[in-house]
Order: sequence, then C-alpha cells, then structure tokens
Amino acid sequence: MNRPGFFLALVRAAVLSIVAALVIVPLIATFLGGFKSVGELRASPFGLPPVWRIETYTDILGGPVFWGYIQNSLIISFSAVFLTLMLASMAAYIFAQIHFFGSKYIQAYLLLGLMFPFATAIVPLFLQIRNFGLLDNPLGVILPQTAFSMAFAIVLLRSFFQQLPKELFEAAYVDGCGYIGFFFRFTLPLSTPILATVGTFVFVQSWNNYLLPLVVINDSAGYTWPLGIMRYRGEFMVEWNRILAFVSLTILPALIFFTFTQKYIVAGLTRGSVKG
Amino acid sequence: MKSFCLGAATVLGLTLAGSALADDVRMLAIEPNVPEGRQYYLDVAKAYEAANPGTKVQFDFLDDTSFKSKLPTLLQSSARPDAFFTWTGGVFYEQAKAGVLKDISVDFTDADRKNYSPSGIQSMSHDGKLYGVPMYAASVVLWYNKALVEKAGVDPKAIKNWEDLLAASKKIQGAGIVPIVMGGKDKWPIALFYGQLAARIAGTDGVAAADKGENEGFNNPAFVQAGEALKQLADLKPFQPGYMDTTQPKAAGLFGDGKGAFYLAGNFLVGAQAQNSASGKGLGDDLDFITFPAVDGGKGDPADTFGGVNGWLVTKDAGKSTVDFLKFLTNNKNQTEGGRLKIWLPIGTDAQSGIADPRLRRIAEGLSKAPHHQLYLDQMLGASVGAALNDAAAQIVTGDISPEEAAALVEEAREMR
Amino acid sequence: MTTMTGSRSQLSPAARIARMHRQGKLTALLLFLPPALVLFTLFVIWPIFNAANLSFFKWSGYGAIDNFVGTQNYQRLANHSVFHQSLWNSVKLILASLFIQIPLALTLALLIYKKTSINTAFRLIFFAPYILAEIASGVIWSFIFDGDFGVSGQIATALGIEPFYILADRQFAFLAIITVVVWKYFGYHMMIFIAALQAVPDDLIEAADIDGAGRWQKVFYVKLPLIMHAIKLSAFFAIVGALQVFDIIIPLTNGGPSNSTHSIVSYLYTYGLAQLNVGYGAAVGVVLFILCMVTAFSYRRLAMGKGGAL
Repeated sequence: MNRPGFFLALVRAAVLSIVAALVIVPLIATFLGGFKSVGELRASPFGLPPVWRIETYTDILGGPVFWGYIQNSLIISFSAVFLTLMLASMAAYIFAQIHFFGSKYIQAYLLLGLMFPFATAIVPLFLQIRNFGLLDNPLGVILPQTAFSMAFAIVLLRSFFQQLPKELFEAAYVDGCGYIGFFFRFTLPLSTPILATVGTFVFVQSWNNYLLPLVVINDSAGYTWPLGIMRYRGEFMVEWNRILAFVSLTILPALIFFTFTQKYIVAGLTRGSVKG
Repeated sequence: MKSFCLGAATVLGLTLAGSALADDVRMLAIEPNVPEGRQYYLDVAKAYEAANPGTKVQFDFLDDTSFKSKLPTLLQSSARPDAFFTWTGGVFYEQAKAGVLKDISVDFTDADRKNYSPSGIQSMSHDGKLYGVPMYAASVVLWYNKALVEKAGVDPKAIKNWEDLLAASKKIQGAGIVPIVMGGKDKWPIALFYGQLAARIAGTDGVAAADKGENEGFNNPAFVQAGEALKQLADLKPFQPGYMDTTQPKAAGLFGDGKGAFYLAGNFLVGAQAQNSASGKGLGDDLDFITFPAVDGGKGDPADTFGGVNGWLVTKDAGKSTVDFLKFLTNNKNQTEGGRLKIWLPIGTDAQSGIADPRLRRIAEGLSKAPHHQLYLDQMLGASVGAALNDAAAQIVTGDISPEEAAALVEEAREMR
Repeated sequence: MTTMTGSRSQLSPAARIARMHRQGKLTALLLFLPPALVLFTLFVIWPIFNAANLSFFKWSGYGAIDNFVGTQNYQRLANHSVFHQSLWNSVKLILASLFIQIPLALTLALLIYKKTSINTAFRLIFFAPYILAEIASGVIWSFIFDGDFGVSGQIATALGIEPFYILADRQFAFLAIITVVVWKYFGYHMMIFIAALQAVPDDLIEAADIDGAGRWQKVFYVKLPLIMHAIKLSAFFAIVGALQVFDIIIPLTNGGPSNSTHSIVSYLYTYGLAQLNVGYGAAVGVVLFILCMVTAFSYRRLAMGKGGAL
C-alpha cells in the first residue's frame, strides 16, 4: 500500500472508530444501567456497576409477564410486517406494471400517508377502531399500523418492481401466465431483498410503538412491551434501572431481525432507490 | 405462512379471553410508588374473591402519564373498567358532566360514610352526587436535612412565616449550602410553592372563588401576591445549579444525597429520597419536616393542609359488586394495612394507627386536624388550567414573566376552559 | 414495455377497459389495488378527515362533541408564541437533518459500503440507535447531558470550569435535541446510501481508474451522481421526519426550559392531548399536515423531477 493510501486508511479507521464509540457508549450505558440501582444509575450513569445486580435482569426474564408482552409484541409486529408487505406489494405491482387512468392521482393520494404521524389524530383514529369493534383486539393495532406503513412501503416497492427485467414478463405472458400469476410466481420471489428492507423498517416501527397500543389495548394480558415497561414508572418514583434492563432485552429481537435481513436489505434498497 | 396462521389463532384466543363476565369487577389503577403497592391490591382482590365466590376482581395498572392519556378514550368505549383511580378535582368534574360515571349516593348509607373523613367524601362528590370512594390523601410539607440546617445555624422550627424562610435560605446560602432542592423540569414541583402560597394568602375559599371566576378569578390580587412571594424566593437563587434540568425523582435523589437543605413535597418523599439517593439509603433520621410557613396577612389558616386526595370512581353500567368491592378495599382493616406498608396515608377515620414512621404519622395527624385540605391546584383546576398554572409558576421562577402576567395566563386558561 | 402495458393509442375508454380485461389487467387491478386503498382510507384518510372536523370544536375528549367554535382554535394557535417557537424549531431540525445528518450518513456510507465482515459489524452498530426505543434513547441522553454526573459534567470538572446544564439552557437545549435526533436517525439514511452505492456498477469505477481519476474525483464525479436519486429520496424522508419528531423530546426536555424546545408534534401532544384540548390538538394536526403536504409536493416538483421516485 502506498503512503497516502495508508494515511487515508488510518483516517478512515479513526473516523469509524470515533463515530462507533459515540454510537455505542449510550447503548452500552443502557445495558449496564440494568445492573445498577436507581441511585447508582443517577450518580454514575456510565461507570461500571459497583455491584453487578443480575437479579434485575433475571427478575424480568423469570417474571410472569415479560414473555407475555414479548409474545403479544411479536404477534402484532409480525402481522403488521406480513400484512404491509402483502398489501403494499400488490398495490405497488399494479402501479409498476399497469398503466391506467388515475394511477398518478392514486399514488399522490397514498403519499398523504407520509404526512401524518399517529399522534396527530390518535383520538379520531381511536374512534374509528372502536366503531369497528377492534378494541382490545390485536387487529386494532395491526390494521392501523399497516395502513400507516402503506405509503412508505409502496414508494419503495414500486420503484423496485419497475426494475425487474421486462423480458421476463413478456416471456411469462406468452407462456400464458397472467398478471396475477406473474406476481406470485415471479415478482414476489424475485423481490425478497426489498421485501426484507421494508419489512425491517415496519418491524422496528411497530415493535417500538407505544401510543396506538396504549389506546387500543385495555386488558393487561394483551399489552405489548412498550406498555408493559411502563409498570416501572410510579407516580413519584421511576425505576430507570429496570426500564433500561427491559429495553436491553427487547432490543435483542429487533437486532436479530435486522441481522437476519441484513444481506437482503443491502441488495434490496439498491435497486429500489437508485433508479427511482 | 404457517407461523402467521398460528399467530392469527393466538390473536383470536386473546380476544376471547379478554371479554369479562357480567358482575366481575375490573379496576384500573396507576402504578403504585412502591412494589408492595401492586401486591397489596392483588392480595385485597384475592381476599375479596375468597369471601365472595363467583366474583372475579381484576386489577390493571398503568403509569400515571399513560393513564391520563388513555382515560378519555377508554371511558367512552365499552371496554371501560368498572372503577378507576382518580386524583379528583377538575378532571373528575369533566367526567361527571360527560355522564361516564355512576351515581352511587344510594349505595352509601350514613353508616358507610362514617368510615371516611367528610372532606374525603366531599372530594368524590359533584353537584351533590357521590361518584366514588376516597382512599388516601397526600399532604405537602417542607422537608429539611437536619445535619445541613444545623451546620448553617438555622433552626427550622423557628420558621413561622414566609419572611423567616427567605431569611433562613439566605443564611444557608451563606454557609455554602444549597437552600432548596428543586425538580424544575417537571414544573409541578415549582407550582407546589405557588399553590401553597396562594392557599396561605387567599385561603381555600379564595382559591375556590377564583376557580369559579369570582373576584376577577386568578387576576385577584391574592394570586399576584403569591407570584410576588415566589419571585422573592427565586430572586435569592436558592435552587441547586441546573434545577430546570432536574426531574422530580432526580431532585429527590439529590436531596437524599444531602445536596440541599429544604425540599417541598408530599409524604411520598420519605421513600423517594431514599430510593433515588446514590447510596439507596437517603437521609435516614436526618430527615424531618415543618409545615409550610404562614404568610402575614394571609386569609389561609396555617393549620390548613395542601395536597392530594385519591380514590376510585365508579363508571356507568358498573355492577353491584363494584361498589361492594370498593367498600371492602377501603375498609378499616385494609386501610390500616396500606398505611402500615407505607403505601399511602389512609383517609379512613380510624386507619392511622398502623403508620409506623413517626414523621408520616405526624403528617397524618396534621391532615386529620386540618380545618381545610386544599387540593393541589393543578388537580383542582383540571388538565388545561392546571398545566397553565404549572407553566406560569415555572416561568415566574425562570424570570420569563412577571407575577401579574402569570396570574393573567392562568386566568386566561380558566376562561377558555 | 409498450406491448405489455398497452400503447395508449386513440382507443375509446370503453375499448381500453375491454382490452385491459382481455389481457387480465382488469382482474389484477380490481383484486390487488383495493385492499391497500381501503385499509389506507379507513385508518389514515378517514381519521385525518375527522381530525380536520374536530379542529372546529372545543372538546375535552369527554362527552358529546357539540361545542362548535369556528376558527377559534386556529386563531389561538396563530397567536401562541410557543407554537411559533415549535415551528422555528422544526425548521432547525430540517436544516440539521439536511446539512448534518445526511452528509454524515453519506460519508459513513462511502467508508463502509463495501461488503466485508468488519463493515457489516459497523453497519449493525450504526443502525442500532434507530432500533433502540425512544424512551431509552431519551433517558440515556439526558444522563449524558446531566451537568452533575453526565459526560458534560465530567468534561467540565476535568477542565476545571463550572458544570454546564445544557438541557436547562434556553440557548443550547435545542442543540442537544438535534444531537440526539442525528444520533438516532443517521443510520437509517446510511442504510439507504449503502444500498445505492453497492449498485454503482464496477465497470464505471474501473473506467474511471483507467482514465486516471483520483480518489476524490471518483467520489464526486462517479459515485455521488449515480446515487443522486437515493440522496433525494433520503432527503425527502429526512424533511418529513424532521417535521414529525416527537418521542425524543418529551423524555429529554419535556419541551422546556420555558417551552423553548417543542417540536410541532410535541406541542400537539402537550397542549392538545395531555391537557385534554382535543379540538385544539386537532387544529395543530391539520396545520402540520398542510405543512408536510406543501413541503412534500413542492419538494417533489423541485428536486425529484418528473417520474421521480415519489
């Protein structure tokens, strides 16, 4: 390696290490915080715990409620991911594959979904869910989450579908494969990368969502973990150590999901976003 | 695909499990401040079920912030609980007016009512109708760190009026000690001073009149005077550095670490200053309190207390068991047990005997002897006016607005209510 | 493409539909599009519509919605200095997202887009803050900014200066919020850029090598132009995202000190939902919605060009 090359490699390593440190210190503090007492956490948020209180973690893991919350969250998040991918890919396929009158307007209409976080209309949204009789039902969380992910998902999926080689469709069409058959037999299997990408973003958003499950789920047996975690917030005392331990444990499923979809993600966004 | 189908099956299962039977009791509580609190409720529920076979009692818990966000929507759905926790005051009146509560006046005979303090029953009533059952009260006092005031040469027992407190603060400051620890980020700890001063100056009747908009509402000179007194204190810069980035729990921890001499808070501080302190032990026996000082010329009785009243409101369509369970929950035995566990100061007339901590016991005695108990102003005034009041108090202290402007802000919010 | 999707010739509408039907397009259209549209309309558009309606009422969330107040909520909003501040804060967030977050994400993406195992590890680290729940991000960063025990406090002690309480400081508290927002969301944009960079064909880079292009020339004349679409898309998500920042503010500053650090949505939450002014909150939501829409459609016009990714 030549001299400037070596120098640049050094700079590169330095930049990456510094940013990685800035990113990772708060994450490690989150994890370590779970081993401290509330007072230690306040007085020494970044030091090593003087005593490793493993029981905070083991209490949560061994407690009766944790796995219930995780199960509820998993059901809701996976359902939201599945439904979003299903419905959005069908719609995106139509936009990518078929020209029809009004296509542009419908896409602009869907774009409105990006302008609108849950919090802005939580009360009307609640009334709507109530009118459908979906309170205390996971579907009351899943369906709105899916609806709110629709715009973003369709934008990315459509641009990916447009990149699929045209010759493929022509050949399939000649062989008697219709539009619907082509979608299931070719478009979906060829699009696992972008599906994984959108899936990850939808998963993370659904996994961490607090406000919607809060107003929809009343029975604590149906709580998702962001609601469950609130049990450590008393009116005047907050057990931050337990909250941090809990969060550390719940970040794992999301990290695993990300790691699992990593290779797809990278290949996926590539084709989706570049050519637009 | 298979796993999704499994998921859907579980979804269905959950839905079925969620629907309750006719006369079961579903309670919605806030997260108690001590872990024993949760267990206490569950134990009471179990005891009731044992005594009343066939009736199920279920407690759901939410932290207070989530609870407040959720309640409006929840009460207007069929999934509403049979009874829920309340801070009484303005929000309770809104709920009563909206018709989501059940009038339980007839279920409470005079004999039943005797178990509760009259002011407790009063707090649960609106327009002469009883909607709920009181359970506990909180009372704000001025806590101090014995070691620190001694070191500064201040005798807290000699602090009788507001001027005395200002003088003591100066003296403590002179000794290089932070006079008052404050959780300014949450705003309401600042508003405790503002509200206490208003109660001392205007008296409970004056506060009630302002709430109704009589005598110029909050533009009444008494509230401007309260703001001026608060500004006098703030001008001494008596709070720890960075107090506007200090939440109430963190402030309690600082006080428990011995980082300041005074702390204005309710009885909950005994536990909070220990739990949040670096050592986990807090001040121990160095913790003591005086009642909030009088203000010369004020209409409020110095023996009046200031704080919260909490209990349970019954929702419409709740079955008979609900009231019955609430009577059980607040009976003398359970109240005494709650007091013994330091979960709260019981409001029941004979339930104070269980309180072991002498300081808490003194607070409870003060409460029972008080001519008036002024509800926290932010709770009394309801959500929007209460928030405006907390905000105004914080802005007086940070010097953003004058006492007159603060009073005008609160009054404006009251008129919008 | 033309043969398959139909040349848009001079056919009558009826004839066009008939041909679509013959080709099986109509069935696909009627089967595939409605589910997404129906769900979207029921749970997104309909609530927006209702919120718009609520914004003309004074409603506490309890009881009947019968107190029609006309444009009173909007007038209050227009006169509320805290709301003005929240608008200004949103502008700052947009600028920070565009000029700090995106360049940072782009730089990092350029450094680690190649597929090696160490790069994969860096990717995981840089993406982790996006996964971390807002409540935890908020509390951990409030510890960092703590003047007594946090990192800033330790730096001050080491330098022998007075501890500095950034979250209590009207001038700098919002800077702290911007820091956390950048920290939390840059990984998201980085992922988009990495993906785009990997699609830059190797032969283009090789061609540039043969032409004797230097390291920087390759970046500025080959790589960046080729991923311009991804940058524009990412910038769009950043702008809309900046207008909707919320969860991070409540645990960090709760909008304080002196209500100087609200975003539009945290303002909505605090003054609308938390204070039981549902109608007022709805009015804020409508204003936010219009702002987002105007921004989005003018951005689409200006930056994306015709047939862009949006």
